[in-house]
Amino acid sequence: MDIVLQQLLNAVALGGTYALLALGLAIVFSVMGLINFAHGELMTATGYGIFFGIAAGFPFILSLGMGVGLAVVLALSMERVAFRPIRRASPTIMLLTSFAVSTILHTLMQNLISARPKPIPIPDMLAGAVTIGAHQIGTIQVLSIVIAAVSLIGLTLFFRATLLGIGMRAAAEDFDVARLMGLNANRVIAVAFAISGVLAGIAGILWLFQRGSVDPLMGFVPVLKAFIAVVLGGMGSLVGAVAGGFILGVVEVLLRAFLPDALISYRDAISLSIVIAILYFYPDGIIPRRENIR
Amino acid sequence: MSFGSTLSRAIAVDAVPGAALLAGLVALPCLVIALTGSGALVLTATNFLVMLIAVLGISLFSGNSGIISFGNVAFMAIGAQVSATLTLPPAIKTANLPLLPVFLQSIQLDFWSATAAALIVVIIVALASGLALVRMSPTSASIATLGLLIIVNSIIVGAQGFTRGSQAMYGVPKLVGLPMAVGLAVVAIIATRLYRDSVTGIRLRAGRDNDAAARACGIDVPAERLRAWVAGAILSGLAGAMFAHMLTVFSAKSFYFDLTFSIIAMMVVGGMASVTGAVSGAVVITVLIEILRRLENGFSLGGLQVPQIFGLTQVGLSVAILVILYGGQTGLLGFREIDSFLPKSWRRQRALPAAASAQARADDGGDVLSVQKLTKSYGGLVAVSDVSLSVRRGEIVGLIGPNGSGKTTLLGCIAGTHAATSGDIRIGTLSLNGLAPHAIARLGIGRTFQTVRLFANMTVLENVTAALADAERGSGLDALAGRAMDLLAEMGIAELSGHIAGTLAYGQQRRVEIARAVAVSPAFLLLDEPTAGMNDVETGVILATLKRLVAERNIGLLIVDHDMKLIMSLCDRIVVLNKGALIAEGSPDEIQGNKNVQEAYLGRRHARLAGNQA
Repeated sequence: MDIVLQQLLNAVALGGTYALLALGLAIVFSVMGLINFAHGELMTATGYGIFFGIAAGFPFILSLGMGVGLAVVLALSMERVAFRPIRRASPTIMLLTSFAVSTILHTLMQNLISARPKPIPIPDMLAGAVTIGAHQIGTIQVLSIVIAAVSLIGLTLFFRATLLGIGMRAAAEDFDVARLMGLNANRVIAVAFAISGVLAGIAGILWLFQRGSVDPLMGFVPVLKAFIAVVLGGMGSLVGAVAGGFILGVVEVLLRAFLPDALISYRDAISLSIVIAILYFYPDGIIPRRENIR
Repeated sequence: MSFGSTLSRAIAVDAVPGAALLAGLVALPCLVIALTGSGALVLTATNFLVMLIAVLGISLFSGNSGIISFGNVAFMAIGAQVSATLTLPPAIKTANLPLLPVFLQSIQLDFWSATAAALIVVIIVALASGLALVRMSPTSASIATLGLLIIVNSIIVGAQGFTRGSQAMYGVPKLVGLPMAVGLAVVAIIATRLYRDSVTGIRLRAGRDNDAAARACGIDVPAERLRAWVAGAILSGLAGAMFAHMLTVFSAKSFYFDLTFSIIAMMVVGGMASVTGAVSGAVVITVLIEILRRLENGFSLGGLQVPQIFGLTQVGLSVAILVILYGGQTGLLGFREIDSFLPKSWRRQRALPAAASAQARADDGGDVLSVQKLTKSYGGLVAVSDVSLSVRRGEIVGLIGPNGSGKTTLLGCIAGTHAATSGDIRIGTLSLNGLAPHAIARLGIGRTFQTVRLFANMTVLENVTAALADAERGSGLDALAGRAMDLLAEMGIAELSGHIAGTLAYGQQRRVEIARAVAVSPAFLLLDEPTAGMNDVETGVILATLKRLVAERNIGLLIVDHDMKLIMSLCDRIVVLNKGALIAEGSPDEIQGNKNVQEAYLGRRHARLAGNQA
């Protein structure tokens, strides 16, 4: 019983991280059709923001805030500098542009900071375990789940209850029509990038809690996984992205827990193959966005 | 039927001179290097040719389908891994690959057998992955190819013992030299160039330019994608096997993101939609990489010492990609091939047909398109409600109704782009329910769209040829192009045949779209506002053309339009929809006098006033 509960919590914690990343990707994709390869660099930037914050002697919590802030600033500048000139281009061209931007950014980090991992000291109070009933659960895990849940609920409220949020949803459904209704395109896209920066920042914090160090390629693997989650959920569907993230998290944790030792090194290959097999039956994802052919 | 004649009908004869010229331009300098060059230069040239084959592999799929593939490097990895395992001397295998089965440890094959075996594995993986990804949207499919790259890499790394894991695979015999690379590159260039202009290549490009329209022309887009995916994978696998036997040492990391990035840079910089572009991109990027690699370890510039810059090559490639994308966005050559730089007299000109020849398709039974009790709802919103109608061949039926009355949705349900919630659609006794759009087109239903959907980057002739290809299975490309030319002449637009469709004026685009719909050899034609945005003269031309088509080809026409003059003068019968329901049906005169129709269009009060005036 205990192991099942433990694995379930692991799955929720990992799935939550993927869901935050996937949601950030999906928001940007839905307003401008861009799959942002450089999303991983936002996560990495968060790591360095925290590292330098702590190194400069700021309190831990403030450093976390600086990390997220750096991700938002980077997201906004990348939109302004790199993606605005090609806003009307085909998805293929935007994809390739972000691929190039991502390469330039992590090469810059390798040269200007260091190719080696920089340690992030996690405060002792986070290292322990929480006792809930008869169970002991890692503090970091509980914190991860709480942070992911609060972020998702907060974002849901933003999308449902604020004027800007409703505008964003309208833009995600049909960007051109939303513009005709008076929505400012520059503002909507900037907000989408800012949100994606916040989400990548939070996901970066959760990832750092698990790893304890930051290096230039930190964001690479989780964001690749998040891409897959977005496709699994249904390209451009926000709910789908969250669902895709959690499904991928559950699949990975289950494989890690129950795969025989001989197969454990094929974990990623198996989980991605499972996803591709699902896509064979649902080529538009499990919660597809509706398209109209006129 | 001999193989030769099958081949000559399948390949694009017109593309042969350009392909041969391109292959010659690549082969000649490399052969000169092979005869006279130094060791380092020979290696660079060989390396260039292997990369060129790899680029052609990716561009064969991505350039023609519009789906960027990150997965072709996975096929290179498989090609290298499997072929090298088979050519490696047994002594090295026992030491380095201890888990291999004994029969694999003891054999040592030559390059060709080993590569053939590797390509079989490549084909199996390509089919398995392709079945899933060809059905996805282009962006999703791109991401799925990325998944494939990760899957293959992690299997090779994880299978240590069968492979070298993340360590280097060394001791591979050097079996690929410059002459062999030249030969294989020539074959690859000619094959990809001829593929691009073949019937299947044209159909795939049609799907790239406009997916929905391609399906409406009877093109099975996923099937065409799958062919190109497997063909591209074979080229990539070949390049991988050559890579291993040229460098004699490689690791799983050799075939991962860095290589993917270099190859995509080559494709993008040259222009991903053309073979000439892929070749020029490979040249430019190879030169760039050679220069940057020398600068990477630091250099002095006018007395200023520049320190070592880690990853300079990658940044250089990124900048090259960005310059191209921000500039023209379609690469150095865009969609052009080397052929367009040849003198006109070298190129074959297609003669304009002297007279239009009308050829009706042999009648295959179904004379009536019938729709029974069709309902289409989106959640709670009912777009079409319980509508029944029929169209006979040779009859023109108008479908009218206020905006939002469900006309386009009804056409979409018939053509298969929308799935009806309930109801029955048949040609004669043949049910169309649940069929894919391309299957419905092949059964004899052509359509145009409310907003023009042409294959914008292809010529007018290619637009029509793409649609003919399925109606006339098995005809050679030459015969198809001739038929397409006849059809364009019949529509009075033969002089536009060589123009790129996207550059035409709006009225001309509409006519090309109708010509393309007719090319499907339809028994029934669904036209959605064919004269929207046209002036009276243009509308008159369309009107005459449609009447002639119906008479000469015995087509049943279902036409949606807001131009009441056109509808009243063209149609034998008119069906009126309002709020998704059929409210009236009858001759133009009956419809004009119908109270319900006037109310639907004008509102109740105005209808009464109009009635009083009449």
